[in-house]
Amino acid sequence: MSCSPTPERLIQLNERFRIFCEMAEDLSGLQDYPPRPTFSAKDNLCAMGFQARAGSRILEGYRPPFDATPVWRMRQEGMLLLGKTNMDEFGFGTFSTNSGYDVPRNPFDAGRACGGSSGGAAAATSLLEGHVALGVSTGGSISCPASFCGVLGLTPTYGRVSRYGLIDYGNSLDKVGLMTRDSGSLRTWLPVISGPDPKDPTSCVQPMLDLSPRKVERVAVPLEAMQNLGSGVESSFASALKSLQDDHDILVEEVSMPSLKFALSAYYVLATSEASTNLARYCGMRFGVRNSNISQHFNDFFSETRSANFGTEAKRRILLGTYARMVGFRDRYYMKALAVRQLVISEYKRVLNDHDLVLTPTMPFIAPRFADIEKMRPLEAYQADFLTVPPNLAGLPHLSLPCGYIEGMPVGMQAVAPHWEERALLDIAERWTSKFQMRFPEVAR
Amino acid sequence: MKIGLEIHVQLPTRSKLFCSCPTTADEPNSSVCPTCLGFPGSRPVLNRRALEMAVQIARFLECRVASEIWFSRKTYFYPDLPKHFQITQYDSPVGVDGSFVVGGRSIGIWRVHVEEDPGRIKRVGRSGEEVSLIDYNRSGIPLVEIVTAPDLTSPDEARNFLNELLVELRHIIGTTASDEQSVRADANISLGEERVEVKNVQGLKNLERALKFEASRQQKLLEAGMRVVRETRRFDEERKVTLSAREKELEEDYGYIGEPDLGVYDLSRISAGLLEVETPLRRAQRMSAHYVVDYDKARQVVLTSMAMADLFEALANAVDPEVAMNWTLGPISANWELLLPRMNDQSTKEIVEVVQLVVGRQITDSEGRRRIGAIAMGECPTDISCAVQDEALGSLINDYLNEHPQVVRDHASNPKAANAVIGHVMKVAKGKYNSQEIVEATRKEIERRTS
Repeated sequence: MSCSPTPERLIQLNERFRIFCEMAEDLSGLQDYPPRPTFSAKDNLCAMGFQARAGSRILEGYRPPFDATPVWRMRQEGMLLLGKTNMDEFGFGTFSTNSGYDVPRNPFDAGRACGGSSGGAAAATSLLEGHVALGVSTGGSISCPASFCGVLGLTPTYGRVSRYGLIDYGNSLDKVGLMTRDSGSLRTWLPVISGPDPKDPTSCVQPMLDLSPRKVERVAVPLEAMQNLGSGVESSFASALKSLQDDHDILVEEVSMPSLKFALSAYYVLATSEASTNLARYCGMRFGVRNSNISQHFNDFFSETRSANFGTEAKRRILLGTYARMVGFRDRYYMKALAVRQLVISEYKRVLNDHDLVLTPTMPFIAPRFADIEKMRPLEAYQADFLTVPPNLAGLPHLSLPCGYIEGMPVGMQAVAPHWEERALLDIAERWTSKFQMRFPEVAR
Repeated sequence: MKIGLEIHVQLPTRSKLFCSCPTTADEPNSSVCPTCLGFPGSRPVLNRRALEMAVQIARFLECRVASEIWFSRKTYFYPDLPKHFQITQYDSPVGVDGSFVVGGRSIGIWRVHVEEDPGRIKRVGRSGEEVSLIDYNRSGIPLVEIVTAPDLTSPDEARNFLNELLVELRHIIGTTASDEQSVRADANISLGEERVEVKNVQGLKNLERALKFEASRQQKLLEAGMRVVRETRRFDEERKVTLSAREKELEEDYGYIGEPDLGVYDLSRISAGLLEVETPLRRAQRMSAHYVVDYDKARQVVLTSMAMADLFEALANAVDPEVAMNWTLGPISANWELLLPRMNDQSTKEIVEVVQLVVGRQITDSEGRRRIGAIAMGECPTDISCAVQDEALGSLINDYLNEHPQVVRDHASNPKAANAVIGHVMKVAKGKYNSQEIVEATRKEIERRTS
């Protein structure tokens, strides 16, 4: 295993980049010999000994009485849990700027965002050699920060990794995945966190993880994905495609996937519908924050707690989701979005029938500056997810990997494989990183 | 008058619907876990036994049983509901379009579905200083909801319907009489155009009371030429009146969505593995028709015990069913408490033989009764030592009649004179003999003395 940072170094890095919203109190394991390999868990994954606040003030002080299954499985392997990585509140965001506990900074440029919602996880991976970060993706929350921070971000098939102990955003979309600096770590840790878990029935229908070789020979690039890209991203992606053909002997074909343009709307309807029910339980009564006067009508008590402790984006998504579920709108929004999801799945199936992967850039731009994010309207921020949302909506395994650098900032490309075919993603990761020179931030000591 | 019911019955599973917490607990909040408290990161895992029970109920109610079902989230904010959504079934109930016959009338069953119970709120303290305590032991206990068509026509019929339904459910899913105390119903009742919903009435008695009160309230309004307002009311158990619910519940919007943590369940597979059970009242109907005996008597037999019905059928196949019924409701019933734990093939055979001997006039009626009593005591029916008991009874009666000859004299004009003997023997023997036996023996002794 590679060298671990000293506790002092870790604290220093955290002060600068706000990776963790809670760090392990006892970091002495870092000085063990041989050093113990380290991992981190996104703050929405429950881990005993830590609070689990999912980036939200409303869960202040909540200490879960159990480990999330992926956390437990990592610990069983002797991994040292360094801390809980910062994130957008409940996963609601693209830049990790919606956290109730400070904002993680991009290791390549602290004036820029890490991406979201697994921002802290990507920053930790980028900064710490040999680190494995457990991230969570609902609509692109692993791919996006992996792209902005220049690391590998693997989102397995929906149902591959148990969600027991994951604080829900959209249960039909949430997936626990990995962020690493190298493809070998993905191959090592994916089998550890995968597999059926009786505590999460949706993980019990999976075929066994098969990591035997599956050589990627033919990939599809949807035309629809090539619109509205930042010019640097477009050219980086184009040269990556060229390298795939020239250096890796992979056939690249353009295809049309017209339903992709509906995916974003369907995603936001489904994700917010589910989220608005998941967040109903947070009311200051049984766990988390308690800062309202209890001797008032329960409605007033709940409203007071929720008004004071949910962030703006959480409130927006609760309202959106509640609206989409209302009688009279349910058919128009929620039911229609379910139909669109089926459409997107069948379109991927069609294309993946004769291609090993679908390739697109991961994000339409490089990590934005915080000042620019402030100017974005909510809808513009949602639209930034238009490439990461479709595979998430379809529950397909996908991987973001660095494919170029603009202005010193990483650009990511995203590979989407058929359901349960994570091995095709490992193949492309191994072949691509064997020739592509990945860069890591030069952080002054 | 039109009455429709939404009935909630707890399913007697060992563990809760979505977690492994036991369904029984003494201390408040002792049978709880992250799942039934709705802790973040917890997840439901379905208790299949509850689904099986619901399928059995739906089949019994002659519903169309769905081939696959899924669950939904019904969202509302209330302190007893930990997740602030209830996992229930919305667009895929276990069964629809069934019926249940009560008093010869078929009552439509609209749907049967499974859902989780919320916790229980207890209000303590003086008025004005009330404190609400919540016990989450009940949170997550499986419920079956049965929704009827508005086919019931009186509070009496509604109560009868629920009573008969519970008798059958007791047998199908094994609820106990104490579980039935916790049966809750929402009742829709209309005398005129508008219907009123009385929510969350607990138990049979309260249901009838609530409906009676509501029927007469609506009646008075209509007679006075006033309108009945469509509304939700609650039943005040102490004052026995219905009151307009404080909170406005105008077409509450629960914003149903599918429950994504639970998949689709194949009911045809579950259904195929379930055995058809004959419920008590259906059995009474069959016995009444097949053996040509009085339905009320058949009903009395099955309501006492299905084992008694087994014995009756064994008798009815051996002797005249009418005789079988008389013996069942007579000596057998009188000794039932002792007989029940001894019932098996051997004791059934012995009892059948006794009755056959009586019918064949090989032994007397009273000897037959004595033998059944002996079987009940676990003694050999033909054993001589058993007969001592009978002699003891005979001597008690003889002694009394010797001391009170007027009883024998009066008996000719007034058979009730024999009651004095019976009362005396009952008192002296402290319940050793049942009244039937004493009456029989006394009658015979008086007849012997007067003939």
